[in-house]
Amino acid sequence: MGKKRKQTEALEPKAEPSPPPSRPPRTLTGWKDGAVQDPDEGGDNTFFRNKEKVLVTCSRRINYRYRHLMLNLVSLLPHCKKDSKVESKESKGSTLNELVELRSCSSCLFFECRKQKDLYLWMVKSPGGPSIKFLVNAVHTMEELKLTGNHLKGSRPILSFSTNFEESAHWKLVKEMLTQVFGTPKGHRKSKPFHDHVFVFSVVDDHVWFRNYQISVPHNETDKVDKGGLDKMTLIEVGPRFCLNPIKIFGGSFGGPTLYENPFYVSPNQIRALEKKKKASKYATKVKAKTRRKMHEMENALVPDEFADMWKED
Amino acid sequence: MVKEIENQEQESESEPESESEGEDEKLSTEPSKNAIYNSEALLEKIEDIAWPKKIDWIHKLTIDHPQVEKVDVDDDLARELAFYTQALDSTRVAFSKFQKFGVPFLRPPDYYAEMVKSDSHMLKIKDKLLYEKKMMEEMEERRKMRENKKISKQVQHEKLREREKSKKDEIESVKKWRKQRERDGYVKGEKGNNEVFGFEKGDDVFDKVRKKRPGVAPFDRSGGKNKGKGSSKGRERRDSKFGFGGRKALKKQNTAETTNDFRGFRKGGDTGSNNKKRKRF
Repeated sequence: MGKKRKQTEALEPKAEPSPPPSRPPRTLTGWKDGAVQDPDEGGDNTFFRNKEKVLVTCSRRINYRYRHLMLNLVSLLPHCKKDSKVESKESKGSTLNELVELRSCSSCLFFECRKQKDLYLWMVKSPGGPSIKFLVNAVHTMEELKLTGNHLKGSRPILSFSTNFEESAHWKLVKEMLTQVFGTPKGHRKSKPFHDHVFVFSVVDDHVWFRNYQISVPHNETDKVDKGGLDKMTLIEVGPRFCLNPIKIFGGSFGGPTLYENPFYVSPNQIRALEKKKKASKYATKVKAKTRRKMHEMENALVPDEFADMWKED
Repeated sequence: MVKEIENQEQESESEPESESEGEDEKLSTEPSKNAIYNSEALLEKIEDIAWPKKIDWIHKLTIDHPQVEKVDVDDDLARELAFYTQALDSTRVAFSKFQKFGVPFLRPPDYYAEMVKSDSHMLKIKDKLLYEKKMMEEMEERRKMRENKKISKQVQHEKLREREKSKKDEIESVKKWRKQRERDGYVKGEKGNNEVFGFEKGDDVFDKVRKKRPGVAPFDRSGGKNKGKGSSKGRERRDSKFGFGGRKALKKQNTAETTNDFRGFRKGGDTGSNNKKRKRF
């Protein structure tokens, strides 16, 4: 660990000969509060170093499609560590927290697959930070042939957010988490010094939509785009695509007090149950209609007609 | 059991394709009343995890893009276009920022490194694109052929009518000419004056040709000179095959060489060249 620190500091020539930022004290249960980042009382910008590390893992019995999505994300995030599958039931407990700490990560992406069809994504800041639970929809993996772009592995992405992330507190939090988890730290040893792709996060219909585009722009030099090149710039989609529906935000990591609950959220189980019910209720409605008709007839019995036997003889 | 799982997988595969938000919306017309929203705690949490305010943009690389108009989620094209324009605009902003910094940020052409998608995968993509292009071209060609056929039919029709008309006109002109001559004072019945051409009467001109030459096949241009002497190619071939001039049975038997010789086997059979049904898609 110490060795790495020296390397990265050698890369930044402007660093003053002051002692390197001391490593935050560590307790048995993890980092001390707020110690993931360097303390900003240092004042100088050059001291900031993003040491984000993301643990990416998934539950057992995950669908192949969702597993591929996870692997795609692993290939997109050079600052992540992939771990083996975790038993779903354990996710309730503190095992995941322990695991994150064990791998010395500061955040975690946990893909939880239920019933082989629903994918939930936990986005967690590890020691004390919040955790967000999303439902993942509209998944397209990078393997799809219609997504024709390609880019360097480990180049740092440009993160583009739509401005409606600023509209409310929970979206702000989501934005902050996304920037920290999806942004590759500057000067990370696996990252490449060029920028050739862009992540798009957009809030549409109360969902976060994710897209990844390759940037292709005409250029001859490495630090300048050709004249008028910015207008000629085109984007090619690389994938993956997915859509995140926030369900809940918790105060702790993998638990804690609920800070936000999506009022519009309906679980896919409920949707399916409703659909099933609708199908099943065809016969029931018929029977009901019949009894109602009978009741109606009983209640409003026909008045005996006084002219009924008018034309009868006698 | 395995089958069941497969079914489920297929379902789950088809579900995200259709972007099943539509159902969501129907169900969630009214939000639940007792949903928790602790905005103070949320803001506090942001403070907790946020990076220091003063850090350079180069650490974050975030660009905010104002969403101009509301995007319709169910309209796939409009939605994707909105994302694309967002990406494009924010990339332009980011690149102009990079240029201001003056640090290299574009990949030089001689910089080779591992890509996100493997070469074999990219090859697959390329193949698919080429195939699609070929299909498009073929379709275009077929469409053109169909149109050409239509046009050529029309042209043929026109030509026939034209020919008919010109024939009629010529006959008419000859008649006119004859009348003119008569009026001019040529004596009727003089030699060479009163012939009636076959075509004027409308009978078959070739009748004479056919009747005059007994023993010659109709339309035999050589006038029966070839008769008995030369024979057609087909005749020759049949002769060689079925034994004109000697017993051929032994020659027709298989030998070791001929059994191992597959050159003539299924030569140009129905490999699709004349199978129109298969070709059609």
